[in-house]
Amino acid sequence: MEELEKLKQELKKLNAEYSKIKDVAVEKRAEFGRELNAKKIAILDKIAKAEDALLDRKVEALDVTAPVAPNERMPEVYSVFDGSKHPLMMELDRVVAIYQSMGFDVMESRQLDDEYHMFDSLNFAKEHPARDGYDTFRTEEGLIPPAHTSTMQNRVLKSYKHLLGEGKEIAVVVPGRVYRNEDVDATHEHTFYQCEGVYVSETCTMGDMLGILREFFEKYYEQKLNIRTQPGYFPFTEPSLEFMIEKPKALGGKKGDFLEMLGCGMIHPNVLKMAGIDPTKYHGFAWGGGIDRLVMLRYGLKDVRYFESGNLNFLREFN
Amino acid sequence: MRISLNWLKKFVDIKISDDELVRLIGARLVEVEGVIDETHKYDNIYVVRVASAEKIPDTHLTLCQIDAGAADVAKVEKNEGLIQVVCGAPNVREGMLAAWIAPGATVPASVNEDAPFVIGKRKMLGKYDSYGMLAGADELDFGDDHSGIVEIDPAVAKSGDKLADVFELNDKILDIENKSLTHRPDTFGVIGFAREVAGIMGVKFAVPAFSAEALQKSAGQDTANLSISIASPDICERYSAIVLTKHGEIKKKYLTWQDTILAKSGMRPIDPIVDATNYLMLLTGQPLHAFDYDKFVAVGGTKKPQINVRLAKAGEKLTLLDGKEVALVPADIVICSGDTPVALAGAMGGASTEIDENTRNIIIESATFSLYNLRKTQMEHGIFSEAITRFTKGQPVYQTMTVAEDCAAMLADGFKIVGEADEYPKPAKQDVVKITTHEINNLLGTEYGDDLIVKTLENVGFEVKTGAELTVTAPLWRKDIHIKEDIIEEVGRLLGYDNITPTLPKHGTANVNKMLELKTRIRNLMASYGANETLTYSFVSGRLIENAGQDTKNSYKIVNSISPELQFVRQSITPSLLDKAHMNQKIPYDKFALYEFNKVYQVAWGRDAEDVPVERTRMGFVLAERKTKGAAYYKAKLYVEKLLSELNIPVVFRPMTTEIAMAKPYEPKRAAEIFTHEGQFVGVVGEFRGLVRRNFKLEDYAAGFELDLDVVLENTKNKVVSNDFVVKDKEDVTITTTKTYAEVLAEVEKDNPGAEITPLGIYQPEGAKEKNITFHIVKK
Repeated sequence: MEELEKLKQELKKLNAEYSKIKDVAVEKRAEFGRELNAKKIAILDKIAKAEDALLDRKVEALDVTAPVAPNERMPEVYSVFDGSKHPLMMELDRVVAIYQSMGFDVMESRQLDDEYHMFDSLNFAKEHPARDGYDTFRTEEGLIPPAHTSTMQNRVLKSYKHLLGEGKEIAVVVPGRVYRNEDVDATHEHTFYQCEGVYVSETCTMGDMLGILREFFEKYYEQKLNIRTQPGYFPFTEPSLEFMIEKPKALGGKKGDFLEMLGCGMIHPNVLKMAGIDPTKYHGFAWGGGIDRLVMLRYGLKDVRYFESGNLNFLREFN
Repeated sequence: MRISLNWLKKFVDIKISDDELVRLIGARLVEVEGVIDETHKYDNIYVVRVASAEKIPDTHLTLCQIDAGAADVAKVEKNEGLIQVVCGAPNVREGMLAAWIAPGATVPASVNEDAPFVIGKRKMLGKYDSYGMLAGADELDFGDDHSGIVEIDPAVAKSGDKLADVFELNDKILDIENKSLTHRPDTFGVIGFAREVAGIMGVKFAVPAFSAEALQKSAGQDTANLSISIASPDICERYSAIVLTKHGEIKKKYLTWQDTILAKSGMRPIDPIVDATNYLMLLTGQPLHAFDYDKFVAVGGTKKPQINVRLAKAGEKLTLLDGKEVALVPADIVICSGDTPVALAGAMGGASTEIDENTRNIIIESATFSLYNLRKTQMEHGIFSEAITRFTKGQPVYQTMTVAEDCAAMLADGFKIVGEADEYPKPAKQDVVKITTHEINNLLGTEYGDDLIVKTLENVGFEVKTGAELTVTAPLWRKDIHIKEDIIEEVGRLLGYDNITPTLPKHGTANVNKMLELKTRIRNLMASYGANETLTYSFVSGRLIENAGQDTKNSYKIVNSISPELQFVRQSITPSLLDKAHMNQKIPYDKFALYEFNKVYQVAWGRDAEDVPVERTRMGFVLAERKTKGAAYYKAKLYVEKLLSELNIPVVFRPMTTEIAMAKPYEPKRAAEIFTHEGQFVGVVGEFRGLVRRNFKLEDYAAGFELDLDVVLENTKNKVVSNDFVVKDKEDVTITTTKTYAEVLAEVEKDNPGAEITPLGIYQPEGAKEKNITFHIVKK
């Protein structure tokens, strides 16, 4: 209280200073005015804070252990009819559940990672243009909000490689949130979700990769599907492919309509080596695809920007 | 990149339909973004002879009678076999062959417009019937030239011929997604592309004659006219140059097939020299640049051209061909005459050495440059030309000299070679990879035989020595072949991944992911409590952080954020939800509860064992109501209590004293810290500070909580029931007290062991110190 009074006195004095401007030499008036203004802003800021503190001091304390305030009605939760689940999260659950049924463990992706996991451990040459191609964000420390869930490949390989020694295989999927520095429009978001898959064993083949991916999409769309591939390029797989499925009937697909679903390939020997796995003995495959698009296809949603909008008009569509 | 199928078919014999070809290219080489069908673009356009041309007095127009030969044209009145057309072009003259767009045909340049322009019969100056039009290069979509009509060489056509037949214009153009060929610079010319197509067709690619001729030439001509010096092979692996001198005029009179190829490839004919360099780039993938020799020498102040390739120095400036002066950066590679920069290597030539109509002597540059430097140059100066697109993929070095010589051959009418120089300080070695058939089949899951594998590789220029294993030498144009997997890629791709049978590998059973399971469980509970699951960005503004009472110094800061709104990594979930609460109140929603699961990071937490920032998974929750009075705290507490009790985590609520970032938005006097009975901190629940509420423009009734989900997961237990399902007694008890609710509850629990105790309400008469707490007690 006293402090606030003091500040107000100071402000009064300062206001009085303004009248002295006419005694200041003309060429120095601007500077004089600027200095006064700066002081005034500082004091006003302090006054605002002090007033807020005063308001805070007036706040009445609660018995935080009680279930209700005296003389108020017992609180109730809102109606079940208003509740909703986020469609992206439901889809991710469904995707993950299918992979789990196919024997894949789940490891969630990080949202802030480093150059080693995002690029080095994935066989990106130091100055490789592909590093720019991923339009990555960076923090002041050089940390990276990952641009793909592949940022977890090295961790997956390292933490599961003991299974290989036991004659078993590594089979893990990695769902997670990823980020790309790009302009947002109806079909592009800087923040989106992906699911990565990693499989390593002594005997697996590219045929197995195509089989696993087809199996997943057939379970996901609950129908038999034709698949197609297209050569792709990723530094961390060799050979690399783009994987497509014939558009399912549920999405109004016609024969010959194909949807690009994900990128995939046989894990590059350097990636296995970086994780301490002998690439002459073991090989594997990996893939990664977006989740947002699956949701958009499922609901016929036209604008990706709704996902992170927090808008109840949108959210409450998904009970 | 655009590739004409007609052009492609000149290099490889294709026996399948275009649709099938496009499908195979897509499946085995590159993503085809689209196919531009031009098979009808030049319908009803004919080569005609201008039989007579009479100036119409006092106009710029010429009244022409044209001979359309045997062309089958409807809607036209002929007079003695000739058709009348009024033409406005200054170069129309009797006897020339021109391109005539017949009535009813569409002007090719307008086919992609909303309202394509269909030519008809017009009456000119009120008295001359004019049928169709004599077309200029711009109308035919072959360039921007509007100075006159095109003239056609009588050696290639006669009147009545379809223009499309003469120039192979019934074509389909592939629109190629460049990004999917980033690693294959050799395919950025039609020859390289055709080689792959031959490989896909299973036939051996034959190197086209034009290049083969040049390949056999020796490079050892007079080199006295120029010298080349490269500062480091790291910035320029090879620099070849040819000096040409003028001995005649290149007459650019007729429309050529080459002009149409430039147009179909998305480029425009400009002048014979530039056209030749562009055409060769489209053919071979090797970009060329032409300098005016005499200007080059003058700038350098040397007697003969001294070409120096080096990195730019700080402070250097260069005026480019487009007239813009750029401040060079140290990553830029520059071509210097002596020590004066005259071109931004790979990107754009300089204005000081530009060729023009007075150019007598030319230096043709054919070189390769570091793609890394050129990518920086591209970004720094915003130059996105066909040439730099190719250079930034890393052009192969083997053909620089031969392409330069091809260029000389194309300009032979007007120029002859008087000097050559070729600086190639560190010749590249071709990688040799040893691999077995078994290794190939083992990774692909195929059963390809030796012969098929060898033939497949040889078709696209690999040399293969057979034996116990295959010894494979990559062709000169392949810089991307180093390991076995690269060979496996070639075989698998060219023979078709689609021919690999999908199989299922063995698999075990998956482990439960407890965090995902927990989130799913909470998601179901929260939906039943009428709450709305939300997702918000991980990046927030500094203002949002400060509005929530947090310190931006505790947030990781994004240096290349899209906007100030997305500059910091958030420290907790609650502030993002407060922001969304305001937005939803404006819509308006009167009552709602938003929550979100997500990961958060704080600078103060430091790094983990992997030296990456410590990560916590959080659940944030905010409820807000409009026009409601009362203590919102208790509603938020109800939510968190119900939730934690379903997860069988007994907790206590203690007055808030913590000042951790998570607690900052909350009002300490109306918020609690949540602890397990074992004393582990779970999170906070409470109303928001007045200042925070005002910052987020929220009405008074608002509260929330934030939980550390990692701790929740650790403490989640199965629900256990008492087995005492029979109610023995029940009563309502009211206790008058000044103690806290928790203290009273503890006493009631002590008096009624095992009973189910539910609060019914708290009543405090006005002015009274004591309150009355009523419980419903069910004894079992």
